[in-house]
Amino acid sequence: MGSSGGATSRTGRLIGAMRQKRARALALALGVAALALGLAACGSGGGGSGGTVELEGEPSGKLTISNWPLYIDPGKEGTVKEFEKATGIDVKYIEDVNDNAEFFGKMQPLLEQGESGGRSVFVVTDWMAKKMHDLGYLQNLDKEGIPNVEKNLVSSLRNPGFDPNRDFSVPWQSGMGGVIVRTDLAPEVRSVCDLFDPKYKGKVDFLSELRETVPLVMTCEGVNPEEATEEDWMNSIEKIKGAVESGQIRRFTGNDYARDLTSGDAVAVIGWSGDAVQLQADNPNIEWRMPTEGCSLWSDNMVIPVGAPNPTAAEAWMNYVYQPQAAAKIAEYVNYVTPVEGVKQIFEKTEPELAESELIFPSAEFTAKCFTQAQLSEEEEQPVTRAWNAVLNG
Amino acid sequence: MRGAWRWLREHAVNIVAALVVVYMLIPIAVILVFSFNDPAGKYNFTWVGFTLSHWGNAFGIPELNSALLTSLKLALLATLVSTAIGTLMALALVRHQFHGRRAANLLIVVPMATPEIVMGASLLSFFIILGAPGLGFQTLLIAHVMFCISFVVVVVRSRLIGFDRNLEEAARDLGANSFETFRLVTLPLIMPGILGGALLAFALSIDDFVISNFNSGTTVTFPLYIYGAAQRGIPVEVNVIAMILFGVTVLAMGFTVWQQRRAEKLSEARPEQEAALPIPAGAAEAA
Amino acid sequence: MAERRRIVPYFLLGPGTVWLLLFFVVPLFYMGYLSLESGIVGSLSFSWNWGNYSDALSLYDTQFLRSFLYSGLATLICLLVSYPLAYTIAFRAGRWRNALLFAVVAPFFTTYLIRTLAWETILSDQSPAVDALRLIGLVPADGHVLATGSAVIAGLVYNFLPFMILPIYASLEQIDQRLIEAAKDLYASSRAAFWRVTLPLSAPGIVAGTLLTFIPASGDYVNAQFLGSAGNQMIGNVIQSLYKTQLDYPAAAALSFVLMAIIMAVVLIYIRFAGSEALMGEDKL
Repeated sequence: MGSSGGATSRTGRLIGAMRQKRARALALALGVAALALGLAACGSGGGGSGGTVELEGEPSGKLTISNWPLYIDPGKEGTVKEFEKATGIDVKYIEDVNDNAEFFGKMQPLLEQGESGGRSVFVVTDWMAKKMHDLGYLQNLDKEGIPNVEKNLVSSLRNPGFDPNRDFSVPWQSGMGGVIVRTDLAPEVRSVCDLFDPKYKGKVDFLSELRETVPLVMTCEGVNPEEATEEDWMNSIEKIKGAVESGQIRRFTGNDYARDLTSGDAVAVIGWSGDAVQLQADNPNIEWRMPTEGCSLWSDNMVIPVGAPNPTAAEAWMNYVYQPQAAAKIAEYVNYVTPVEGVKQIFEKTEPELAESELIFPSAEFTAKCFTQAQLSEEEEQPVTRAWNAVLNG
Repeated sequence: MRGAWRWLREHAVNIVAALVVVYMLIPIAVILVFSFNDPAGKYNFTWVGFTLSHWGNAFGIPELNSALLTSLKLALLATLVSTAIGTLMALALVRHQFHGRRAANLLIVVPMATPEIVMGASLLSFFIILGAPGLGFQTLLIAHVMFCISFVVVVVRSRLIGFDRNLEEAARDLGANSFETFRLVTLPLIMPGILGGALLAFALSIDDFVISNFNSGTTVTFPLYIYGAAQRGIPVEVNVIAMILFGVTVLAMGFTVWQQRRAEKLSEARPEQEAALPIPAGAAEAA
Repeated sequence: MAERRRIVPYFLLGPGTVWLLLFFVVPLFYMGYLSLESGIVGSLSFSWNWGNYSDALSLYDTQFLRSFLYSGLATLICLLVSYPLAYTIAFRAGRWRNALLFAVVAPFFTTYLIRTLAWETILSDQSPAVDALRLIGLVPADGHVLATGSAVIAGLVYNFLPFMILPIYASLEQIDQRLIEAAKDLYASSRAAFWRVTLPLSAPGIVAGTLLTFIPASGDYVNAQFLGSAGNQMIGNVIQSLYKTQLDYPAAAALSFVLMAIIMAVVLIYIRFAGSEALMGEDKL
């Protein structure tokens, strides 16, 4: 390439080229932005009310279930396999519910469209079941398909506040939130309030679940969580915040307080009853204790979402696990409070220690002071959640 | 005393290096040790006793297996696609002058410099606003290919830069057309670079957590399975599988290095062979 | 013939460019769109809500500062720890070079999460490692390492070591040994030769390594989640929480942009200061 012309024309060409380049870059950017906004306009729409399940003949075909991890007895002789053998239905069992809000976030775009991502059943805690129902994401159940539920559901769970007639939810397992302690390291802890004792500074874990931890802390102030006001929630959150800042609370956990308890990094935690039974197998010094002010009672519920393929099979599954034999098999592995009547009698013959356990078969006196999971109204939800997350995230 | 001090100073760097290597291997050792643990319950946190049963039952947990399979499928597909795309891009960038070269360079470097959480979050926003078909294997695949391309380009590019173009010219002089030249000369010679890029892409994809966490919907990959299990007690089999993956990759890398050494030895032997044609080939190789 | 030559590069670039544009650049625009919406999942609406950005800066300034503090410290420690190892591999390893490179890279073929969880075991309160630290006095007698900032930084350092070691090694390896010999011929001591010849020549590697460590570390959340406590959460944790549990996508999107903007600003200043053009990949044909 010969160099024709002098420096000025070359500079001129350079500037021209630069301008051209910049103009092209700008055009490209605008084009991309336009494309993006254009596509955004045709986003999602729809939604709709839940409707009721329509049963069609004998249950058959495929069934996809979403549940929490380690919430069923696994393996070749597990309940899923037994169900498949008994009914011929092909089950895909996924353990992808790790957190109610997270699961909601994942499912919401689909449910909004009336889709369920292939799932026919999933298991969510009371408050999330209510939330989904209120948004029209769940179908009402056809009671004809689940006679065992009608027959065997324990009386204490028949008429919960959020679903008085059990129209859209069937309990999977129930549980209690209280304190779990290392009896060899912190034997005197008997209530949630004891967790604020500076003696245990840096050795206490709280649950990150808003609706478990804060109501329990409320009881320390004498508040009844079932009647709590927004101010009560905020006050308890403030108290917890103080404990974080002073280093009292080691960390907020999900189920992973188990690690801290086993290693002794934590001596007392807010925790769930089912985990304690499992932990005891590893370390007999670990014990779940009913807080003196009472515990929190919750259930994880099976629900059928809108757009569920094969709801007939879904109800067949619900019906199956409400047989006392099947429920006993699950309860033996999971160690939470079974919602099915008749399991205790089976255990009295096969697993007598489990039959005695207050954690799996709590008596009415045991849970006298306990409260069902507190609900947040729509207006309260945003500010309380925000305040709570501000504490969790430091 | 002075001698010892001097020895220490001279070898200080080596000692630090050795300590660092030990430091890097400690967690691996811990993972390995706990894969032989025999916990009574669900939790694998404290040492209880030695057992080989979990090694025997490594693939005994169906959810773990399906997560692993998903990860392997995803990594394989993502590797294929991103390696193909990345190699083409590298060829363009190294061999051709064209308008927009700087922009293309930028486009490749910026993803590598973006925190994973930003990439994952923006892809999530994108898929959410688009609506259907929703998050799942396809969205994961798209995301994985996206972040692998840049790395493949960088690796292949570095190999291409050192490439002797005279070989291609020689091939053309001998009558090969462009396509044949590419297929028979270029491609085999840059294959190590392509394989290196592919290996890197595979490793990145199979280990990806952050971006997958945001864009998997309800598909469960191996890292996501572990994340979920971390809450409820990671089965010992997870440690076993992690060690198997580790072992397989070490073997694979060992194999490539061994191949490299062999190739080097053979290329060393060849000039002697040519210089001493009358002598039988066997003796020359032994020389 | 010349015509064909000119479009060939565009064909080669085509698929990759389209993919990156469509799935990297465009999503960033979407995230921008999302960041200007208000409400949470289920009730999002576009409203030019610049408030998300001012909220991002005011509500989460502690986490931002903390993130950059942690990632800055982690990068520095990484550098100090990695350089000797990279140096040894490049100059003193001989036959063991490949084996050492393996040792550097291989641990990272176990999953990120499992490695971090292994650190939970190693740094547990009763572990021999922490007991040793208590003995030396680095940890107070009743203190703990896990659930503190130190554990998070330690995790970050560990997880990003190869990103620091490999670029430094690569640039050290390319140094012509004769330069160092020449320096020694000119009566430079080993130490002087290092400081005035080797170190400056390895600068591109150091720059690349520090960037490859600092940038991902700033956005990390796994280490803080498993090794830290409520007071050690980084901005990545906030973004994750906003997306996953609070379902406040607009705030999360705004935070992500702010994070990216700050990182880019830091990187640009750093590159201008360190002056490395080698980073942008200007290939010489």
